[in-house]
Amino acid sequence: MALLEVENVTAGYRAGPDILKGVSIKIEQGKTYCIIGPNGAGKSTLLRAICGLLHPRDGNVIYRGEMLNKLRTDQILMRGISFVPQDRSLFPDMTVRENLRMGGYIIRDRTELKERVEDAFQMFPILKERSSQRAKTLSGGEQQMLAIGRALVLRPEIIMLDEPSLGLAPMVTNFIFENIKKLKQAGMTIIIVEQNARKGLESSDWGFVLDLGTTRFEGPAGTILNDPRIQELYLGRAQVNRQEPSP
Amino acid sequence: MIQNLQILILGIALGGVYALMASGLTLVFGVMRIVNIAHASLMIAAAYITFWAFRLYGVDPILSIVITIPVMFLVGVGIYKLFFSRIAGTQRSGELTVLLTFALALVIEGVLGFFFSNVFRSTNPAYSTQAILFDPLYIPKGQFYATLLSLGLIGGLWTFLQFSRMGYAIRASMQNISAAQVVGVNVERISMISFGIGIALAGASGSVMSFLFSFFPGKHWEWIAILLALIVLGGMGSLIGALVGALLLAVASAFVSFHFGPTWSPITFFLALFLILLFRPQGLLGKKMEV
Amino acid sequence: MADKTVTSELESVAAETQSLKRPSLRIKNVFLGGLLLALLLFPALQFTSGRLNYWLHMAIYTFMYIAMASSWNIIGGYAGYTSLGHNVFFAVGAYIAGVLLVYFKISPFLTAPLGGLIAMAIGLLVGLISLRTRGPAFIISTIAMILVVKISFDNWDYIGGSNGLSLPAIKLPLAYTKMPFYYAMLLVAVGAIYLAYRIRHSKFGLGLRAISQDETKAEVAGIPTNLYKILAFSISGLLVGVAGGLWGYYLTYLKPSNFLSILVAAQMVLMAVLGGKGTVAGPVVGAVIFIAINEFFVANLGFTELNIVATGLLLLVVLLFFPEGIVGTLKEKGKLPQVLDWD
Repeated sequence: MALLEVENVTAGYRAGPDILKGVSIKIEQGKTYCIIGPNGAGKSTLLRAICGLLHPRDGNVIYRGEMLNKLRTDQILMRGISFVPQDRSLFPDMTVRENLRMGGYIIRDRTELKERVEDAFQMFPILKERSSQRAKTLSGGEQQMLAIGRALVLRPEIIMLDEPSLGLAPMVTNFIFENIKKLKQAGMTIIIVEQNARKGLESSDWGFVLDLGTTRFEGPAGTILNDPRIQELYLGRAQVNRQEPSP
Repeated sequence: MIQNLQILILGIALGGVYALMASGLTLVFGVMRIVNIAHASLMIAAAYITFWAFRLYGVDPILSIVITIPVMFLVGVGIYKLFFSRIAGTQRSGELTVLLTFALALVIEGVLGFFFSNVFRSTNPAYSTQAILFDPLYIPKGQFYATLLSLGLIGGLWTFLQFSRMGYAIRASMQNISAAQVVGVNVERISMISFGIGIALAGASGSVMSFLFSFFPGKHWEWIAILLALIVLGGMGSLIGALVGALLLAVASAFVSFHFGPTWSPITFFLALFLILLFRPQGLLGKKMEV
Repeated sequence: MADKTVTSELESVAAETQSLKRPSLRIKNVFLGGLLLALLLFPALQFTSGRLNYWLHMAIYTFMYIAMASSWNIIGGYAGYTSLGHNVFFAVGAYIAGVLLVYFKISPFLTAPLGGLIAMAIGLLVGLISLRTRGPAFIISTIAMILVVKISFDNWDYIGGSNGLSLPAIKLPLAYTKMPFYYAMLLVAVGAIYLAYRIRHSKFGLGLRAISQDETKAEVAGIPTNLYKILAFSISGLLVGVAGGLWGYYLTYLKPSNFLSILVAAQMVLMAVLGGKGTVAGPVVGAVIFIAINEFFVANLGFTELNIVATGLLLLVVLLFFPEGIVGTLKEKGKLPQVLDWD
């Protein structure tokens, strides 16, 4: 049985139109997945539907056999799914340490939380250096690390990253993906949404191509990367401007 | 020189009280982006509660916060549940919430006026007419206690926000509400509680107001205008900004009151409002407003 | 890009507007017919029976609020920027005309337009200060505006201070005193409706609508948002000021607490919202209906406090349950009678 299964999910924001129109994906434990697709395809929406920021209008999200549809975000976080949003969503006036603490908001035990925060510092030593600095003073790459570190405080089963390379210089992007590889080696299940299809697929086992709210293609990451049809489709679509609706 | 020092002291004393009044307004705006125009009318409602407790049962106004704080907290939660949870997240909620709180202010004013008429009221515990002397300076006892209380409550609020789990959640929501959602904060509940706290603070303010100023149902327009001007000056959504704005403007208005007469002192706030909008619209400590 | 979407959106709205630029002949006829009726009927009745003073008074009152609610609508409905201090324009107009009458013996029928222009200038000034930002700064400024004017007027003895100023009554035989006010207010009301109509069907109005929907996108699409907002605010003050000038003379008494009472501002807002802010017919419908309801309540209850409660409650109900107002909601459901569809 798949660890996480999205079954024919339809979803949209508030009273707006359906963004996801019957999308299905299957996630196996320990693997890394990359979701690519043009703007407006619903990639971010899909991640948000999984972690409870959005409730499916139709279809099911099943994790370890349990339906997540009606659960709140904190309930889903507690079950082991973490989310790193596209805009990093940090708390700008809180320190690095406080941001990490907030990552563990659902953890009630203070000592446990402290431990987890230290783990995050271990993974990203530079954050330890900046632990008393306000999040808004960090560089783009450091903010991304903080965002990922914050998600890791919960020791999730599955970590979902929405456009981790967004706005980052190539060298920093490489560094981020290095760390993603480390997570993979540690056995974590990873779902990445990436505009930088090449980078994303290169780091993944399996790829999904999303467009117009459904899965168009899926397959081993390497195959997707090299498939000319998909390249054409993807590039062709990217010319037409549609905006990803903002939550 | 002595005179100026005296005015300064009176101004600072008042500043603490204004800060208490503005803190509730700021909290609500910071978390939910709601401009609660009814805040001052709720303050006056609390002032009436304090007044009648004093008149009928001899309850000291300062002690009456034991009543007004919890009562107003519940009122705040009730108002939130009744009006704001249903429109939370709808698109044009900004304009709508302002009109809603405006309507609410009208209703409260009308109801208070109907039950209590438009007679000017105030409580007069012993200390409201006494003074503490630091020869040759003095500070009215009432104002002194009021300032202590205000600073105490503000300090309590600060401690709560800095160190408690819920305080973290509230601060997080003030800084980035969608991020708070992502880490599992129950934003609905936090909004409701924040609103309750905001109105509870209005409650405490009302009790204090009852012996510092005279009040009547319609007075809240003057108060809300002053408080709103104050938080725009300090920077909307910033609690420190509210404190700074309160102190600055209270001192300034004390000087205006001395030189031009007390009726002109509110103008200080509005002059400051227009000036800050001209030169630094985000306020002294605020950030640029996101839409 | 963003502008492409917004531009095409604007284009479709423009096309829609174009087709409505010619109001159906029926609406035009109905409107003119009603106007003719108003022009002739009441005064005629007044001459014959002389006992219709009450109805004349109500008519004047209604025309005035039709004008004021329609004017408020320009900034509050079209642009989506709520002004809670619109009674400042009312007071300014009243005082300018009144003071000129008392001290210089000029008839307010001549000076009311001046009052309107000065109100407009104030709107321009305040707008320049507070409309350069978005968010609540504007609303807060309008509230501050009331207080500033109120405190200033209360302390200004030349114009009567807080006790007010008494104005000489108009010199006409008793039976005819209301007549000039009737026609003047009717003119102002028609003017306000016409103004609202023309703005709605203009590029300016389209821009305002875009601003109320999504200001960022409007700006990106090239609309001069700040200019439009400031213009809308000042224009919205014009006829309110004129109405004030006339009303002050009609009452023969100026007092800050009367003209700057929050109830005046609240009622303007309520009428526009009740009728349907953002539509042309909305404020008119809202004014008529609210005044009718209000009269009924005052006749039976008659306290000002309950009046305030009722206004607030009604506003709450409308905002919570049908925020588009009567005209707006009917339009959405497709049930709006053609006669009222002036958009």
